[in-house]
Amino acid sequence: MIDTAILQGIVKILFVCVIITAAYIITTRNLLSLVSVYALQSLTLAFLALALWFLESDPVLLAIAGITVVSKVLLIPYFIATVQERIRIKRDIEFHFISPTSSLIVSMALMLVVYIALTRILRGTPARDNLFFFGAVLGISLMLMGMMVMLSRKRAITKVLGFLSMENGVLLFGMFVTELPFIIEFLIIIDLIILVLLTTILTIGIDSTLEDYQKRLHRFHLWEGPGEGP
Amino acid sequence: MILLAFVLVALLTLLGIGISSTHGRMNTACILHAFLYILLAGYVLLFQQVPVSSFLIGSQFFFMDHFGLYEVLIASVIFTCAAVYARGYVESLLGSRELEKGSLRLFYASWTLLLFVLVLAFFSDNLALFWIFAELTTILSAMLVAILSARENIDAAIKYIFIASASMLFSFVGLIFLFETSRTVLGAGTLNWTVLMQHATAFPAGMMVAAFALVFIGFAAKSGIFPFHTWLPEAHAKAPSAVSAVLSAVLLNVGMYGIIRVWAIVHQTPAAATIALVMGLFGFFTVGIAAFSMLPQKNIKKMIAFSSVENMGFLLIGTAVSTPVAIFWVIFHIMAHAFTKAGLFFSAGILHRQYRSRLASDAVDDIRDVFQYQPFAAWGIIIGGLAIIGTPFFPAFFSEVFILIQLGGVSLPALLLLLALLFIAAASLGYFVMTSFSRVSAPGTPMEIEPYATPLTMKIPVLFLLALIICLGILFTGQEISFFDQIVRELMFA
Repeated sequence: MIDTAILQGIVKILFVCVIITAAYIITTRNLLSLVSVYALQSLTLAFLALALWFLESDPVLLAIAGITVVSKVLLIPYFIATVQERIRIKRDIEFHFISPTSSLIVSMALMLVVYIALTRILRGTPARDNLFFFGAVLGISLMLMGMMVMLSRKRAITKVLGFLSMENGVLLFGMFVTELPFIIEFLIIIDLIILVLLTTILTIGIDSTLEDYQKRLHRFHLWEGPGEGP
Repeated sequence: MILLAFVLVALLTLLGIGISSTHGRMNTACILHAFLYILLAGYVLLFQQVPVSSFLIGSQFFFMDHFGLYEVLIASVIFTCAAVYARGYVESLLGSRELEKGSLRLFYASWTLLLFVLVLAFFSDNLALFWIFAELTTILSAMLVAILSARENIDAAIKYIFIASASMLFSFVGLIFLFETSRTVLGAGTLNWTVLMQHATAFPAGMMVAAFALVFIGFAAKSGIFPFHTWLPEAHAKAPSAVSAVLSAVLLNVGMYGIIRVWAIVHQTPAAATIALVMGLFGFFTVGIAAFSMLPQKNIKKMIAFSSVENMGFLLIGTAVSTPVAIFWVIFHIMAHAFTKAGLFFSAGILHRQYRSRLASDAVDDIRDVFQYQPFAAWGIIIGGLAIIGTPFFPAFFSEVFILIQLGGVSLPALLLLLALLFIAAASLGYFVMTSFSRVSAPGTPMEIEPYATPLTMKIPVLFLLALIICLGILFTGQEISFFDQIVRELMFA
């Protein structure tokens, strides 16, 4: 067995990695690297699950690490990258409401708020060590940061990545706060895959620069505006 | 075992859709599917010991109690009607090439799966399992909205998915809180509703407030509660009318069902008073926003969609009052709203077919000479409209009166405010119907558009639902009362 202190050190380093990837997802304008950073974030989560498994030796954690790698490191990023090639957009430079820099500042503030809120809420539960508490804070913060991505980006495909990042936050939170039955975790992944499939296929429609899409729309009675198309 | 019958019927339907080549056959499969579900749910209700516990021994994932069966019955009736309606409606969509022939199989497969997943959601004992099925209903129904593959529809579907799913993630965090609470209190963590209900009184208030607030975000988004209602009017207005009816009459219930289930747990804890207040406030905001959005509304389907928002807000207020009588009528109102609203959307769909070139979903409606072209649909809207605003002797009237009386017991100003808001909503619906239905061309002018020959299959569901709500309003049997009492008791509000 590896020494507990070393493992806790590793977990802390992985926490930092998660924060870095989250910050990158908020700020970057490059769509291609966005997907790879998402894959990296998921991989970090898989490593976290592994580290926790060494600490707690609960087989569910090992299974979580496994399905995370298969679904979120390989399958979903591959699929999104394929779609991105289809719609031929490389950069997402439009932002709603807040610019990347200010959203970084907002997310720092959010982390602080989450920290304070969770300290109060989790007071009643049995004392867990600091590591688990930080995991929970980080999970919720990651989720809120993902939500900010969804709010502040215009392109639907970037919103999908924001949603995925939110879901990573939920996974992180779930891992550190409590252990859910494996069947639930598994079904969530299935749900996620279907959701990503559908939304990305639909985004081809929205983000697409292809002209035939627009042509098809003119046939319908539902959309008869002049050529102010996608 | 009975759950396996539900699964089997769904699989057979999917198989039927897979091998059939014509629209008629696929549609027949869907009608049969929903109809068999009515029979199955009715069988369980009449001949089995309810609540039926799960067939998966040792792991309580599914169960059937009165509330779940009730929701399944409503869903199956609506789906049967909507499938009959879709027979004519989808045919007409195909005719005008708004729906491509290639998408037909996808449409009916999603339709079948949607009903199946809904039934599983209503029969889930495990809240996390319920969450997953609720999430799947979002995805499948969004598929049905996007199926027309016009850009507007895709926009609406994407918005729907993003708002509903992102909020549902908060719900999941709430469920994790609930799980952790149960682990602290009971020793072993569980999300089984039946177990949580038994031990709810021991749960600490602070955790419960946090858990409920988070769970509420997701389910509120699913049922179109302010401030998460923004997806609803667009998705409902742009979906094909058969789908709008299902979205409004059944899918909104999923969110409400989740809120009521979790509220039944939290209601027993010391956190109840705080949460009731918050829920009531959200209810008032929802009704208010809906009423004032209805006021300037010029589009018939959006009008009906906002009326759904209003009704969901009303249900939330009733749930927040949470006296046994209020809950009794909340549960009754779910049914009254579902049947009435489905009928309204069906009628609006006929009008949409008639005036489709003028009824772009964002534009102002240009309905003219409606009694000349579509007298049937016009009367459907008028009677349905009267029913939904709570005119006496329609079912919604009784539920609204009794919930209002119960609200008056809590706070008189709240009662007056709600009355005013309901009046605004009713008046704007009435005003809209009167102005648009009385618009006639000058006498002697030739008919500009071809009258749309409404197929019989589109009329029968409207007639059936109207007859049903009139019956429900007039007849109120002892069995019905004891059935609703049973639900209230099982939810432990009485």
